[in-house]
Amino acid sequence: MLNDLSSYLELMDKCSSCAFCEATCPVFQADLLETHVARSRMLIIREVFIEKSLPVSKRTLEIIDRCLLCSQCKQTCPAGVPVNEIVIAARYQQYKGKRMSLPRRMVLKQIMENRGVSGVMKKAEVLARAAGISPKEIPKLPKQSFNELYPAGIYPPLGKTRARVLYYVGCGTNTLYPDTGDAVMKVLAHNGIEVTIPEGLVCCGIPSLVEGDIVTARRMMETNLSILAGSGADAILTDCTSCGLTFSEKLMQIIPEEDPLYEKAIEVSSNITEVTDYLQKIGLTFPPQKLEVQVTYHVPCHGNWRSTLNDAPRELLSGIEGTEMVEMEKPGACCGAGGAFFVDFKELSQKIRDPKLQDIKQTGAELVVTQCPSCRSYLSAGLEEGQRVMHPITLLSMAYGLE
Amino acid sequence: MKGLIRDLEQLVGRDSVQADPEDLLAYQADATGYFAKGEPVAIVLPADVGAVSKTVAYASEHRIPITPRGAGSGLSGGATPIKGGIVLDLKRMNRILEINHGNLTAQAECGVVLADFHRAVEKEGLFYPPDPQSMTVCTLGGNVATRAGGPHGVKYGTTGNYVLGLEVVLPDGAIIQTGSSCVKHSVGYDLTHLMTGSEGTLGVITKVTIRLLPKPEVDRTIIIVCESIKQAVETVSEIIAQKIVPAKLEYVPSGAIGGMNRYITPPLEVEGGAYLFVMIDGSPSQIEEESEKIKRLCQNSGVLSVKVIEEAGEAASYWKARTAAYPLLLAMVKKVIIEDVAVPRDQIASFAESLEKIAAETGIPIGMSGHAGDGNVHPSVIVYDLTDEVEEKAQKAIKLLIQSGLDHGGCISGEHGIGLHKSAFIEMELGARQIQLFRDIKKAIDPKGIMNPGKIWMDEGEAC
Repeated sequence: MLNDLSSYLELMDKCSSCAFCEATCPVFQADLLETHVARSRMLIIREVFIEKSLPVSKRTLEIIDRCLLCSQCKQTCPAGVPVNEIVIAARYQQYKGKRMSLPRRMVLKQIMENRGVSGVMKKAEVLARAAGISPKEIPKLPKQSFNELYPAGIYPPLGKTRARVLYYVGCGTNTLYPDTGDAVMKVLAHNGIEVTIPEGLVCCGIPSLVEGDIVTARRMMETNLSILAGSGADAILTDCTSCGLTFSEKLMQIIPEEDPLYEKAIEVSSNITEVTDYLQKIGLTFPPQKLEVQVTYHVPCHGNWRSTLNDAPRELLSGIEGTEMVEMEKPGACCGAGGAFFVDFKELSQKIRDPKLQDIKQTGAELVVTQCPSCRSYLSAGLEEGQRVMHPITLLSMAYGLE
Repeated sequence: MKGLIRDLEQLVGRDSVQADPEDLLAYQADATGYFAKGEPVAIVLPADVGAVSKTVAYASEHRIPITPRGAGSGLSGGATPIKGGIVLDLKRMNRILEINHGNLTAQAECGVVLADFHRAVEKEGLFYPPDPQSMTVCTLGGNVATRAGGPHGVKYGTTGNYVLGLEVVLPDGAIIQTGSSCVKHSVGYDLTHLMTGSEGTLGVITKVTIRLLPKPEVDRTIIIVCESIKQAVETVSEIIAQKIVPAKLEYVPSGAIGGMNRYITPPLEVEGGAYLFVMIDGSPSQIEEESEKIKRLCQNSGVLSVKVIEEAGEAASYWKARTAAYPLLLAMVKKVIIEDVAVPRDQIASFAESLEKIAAETGIPIGMSGHAGDGNVHPSVIVYDLTDEVEEKAQKAIKLLIQSGLDHGGCISGEHGIGLHKSAFIEMELGARQIQLFRDIKKAIDPKGIMNPGKIWMDEGEAC
């Protein structure tokens, strides 16, 4: 459990020091310093925070902070040691939710809890720029949020209803990229899916989790669970891989069996599905039209919470005539954004992003698809004029002629 | 050690020196932390050979031990700084300098990751066969220092067969260029191959000139399921006896398949006693011929099944699973000591039998897996409980299996190097006269004994 570092001891014991994590840790590959790879991070966390054989120092804090929680270490580790979770648990133990300064925490609270309230994002933007945390990598806010374009309610499909789903819109889509949500609504309607946008949803809580602020994260989850559980929907859809990771995996790492929320948590964490993955499974009612374009796919780091998720965009888009998927050399390499990591670790994130941008360039593709809004904004800020990043569903929507 | 840190920072720049307790902890061992740990006083991360030279010269002047380090993925304690001192992390020297089509050679810095090197040369239609299974992280410098092997060893040999020349920083800081880019080189003592496999005890390897081959036209993966260990090792000997030399011929115990199915797509049904993962490569007609020969031979031996894997992704997944075999095993049991004994191919069956006897005698399970095609079957000693009693039995089992390997005409380390692990046994194989030669060579090249002391052979006190 993320609020109990010592609960990870048994998993930590499984580390054999094989060093395979060096192959995929983006921070290690940028820094080329062994202290900054999973194997060592875990060892240091153990010695400092559990065995207490070393005192906490500024360097310790740097080591637990300088990690974007991409989870590549866990995905690569033959023993499956979840060093990313161990880092969160260490942050919880050390910072108790107070790693960020008070002004920043206030801004975050606004954004997370009141995203449904009109105008709050504009206020938050002003606050954020005042607090010096709105770098150019975050695009200017669009005129209307998704919530404003699509208020809460039931949205019937065209033709027969094949299935009924709940749509959990992530904050990235809601405030920065409502075009994704718009494409999702259109494509789902086109394919016989009735969509319910529930009232009162709040942020999934991952920005708090990253801080090790388990208390706030749980509070967000509690609100969301009360809305999403027990709906009888065929599926709960999300467009953001990180929201999906939070609702599927992270949820069960902060809500134990004894918790009153446990039943709801089980239900939601089993039902949450990313929309590309969902459509690939349920199939399209109508085939898309021809769309001549070269596209490449950036696999989000947080795309591993369902076994079918990583390949879903490849499979779904292969059904569009004229659309050529040109794979990167390392489609799964991290983009460097790490949610809001790039704000505090500007140089490091850029160093991680550089080879990714090169990789995209050498594919010659004009479009990049990815399901993560954070990846989308960070990659967009680095790509050249004329290259666009979008959600795979937006591409599908274009192929349907709905855009 | 404040003076030391300040001096090093002045020599190589602050960005190249780390000395916080947390950093020193991160560099205390290689992949065998369960075996031994050291306590360095400083980590130097040189950006170029000049920085290496300055650091080594300084260490020489002040008699500070130096432990060179690549990825720290070694399996014999070679990069463990047991005498403290400075750890020299060479991963930042990671440029591929040249791939020469006209000469079929390449030049690369020591910190290049092997898989990156493979990718770069294969893109050009070229081939660098050595494939130690830690290739996604291990470095060329580390490969040369340990004479690393891998499954391709059965057909293509190991790292030493591909090193044409080296740039080495000697223990006094002097920089030499050994060998050349020529296919043939007979110019006095072969310092290139003295340094190759020297495990950081004679100098720091900073650059490698490598011989390349043209990429084989096609390859094919064949999976053979055998009813028993005996049948599997006999099949291996039979394949070789029939003059088929596969590119890879790996032995995988059935017990390992469960864990490996995480990577194999679609997953394998676990059956029989052992699997053989085979890869043959060459021209299309040769592949056809060898495939048929293998199928016929297997049918004659009565193996449970022989299957040619047609789909490239599926075939690749088998080999990906193979690379994870060792860490997967480690995740399943409390502690495993992987030995690196290699025996001649026609002795594998007898050697395997002796392992069973030793396991029965000592009560310690001994597994086998890996490069059956070249006789390097990695006996794995399973320390099933972390008690002194079991540890003692395990050490007894190791001594017995090493002696058995030697009795079968084998050697104590095929590819991992001696490092710390096997230093207690090296005299069993080489005898006192050769060990004395080792000491004399070490004394001539590293008179102050600063380079990776305490490795390869045992001495009463210091390495020299």
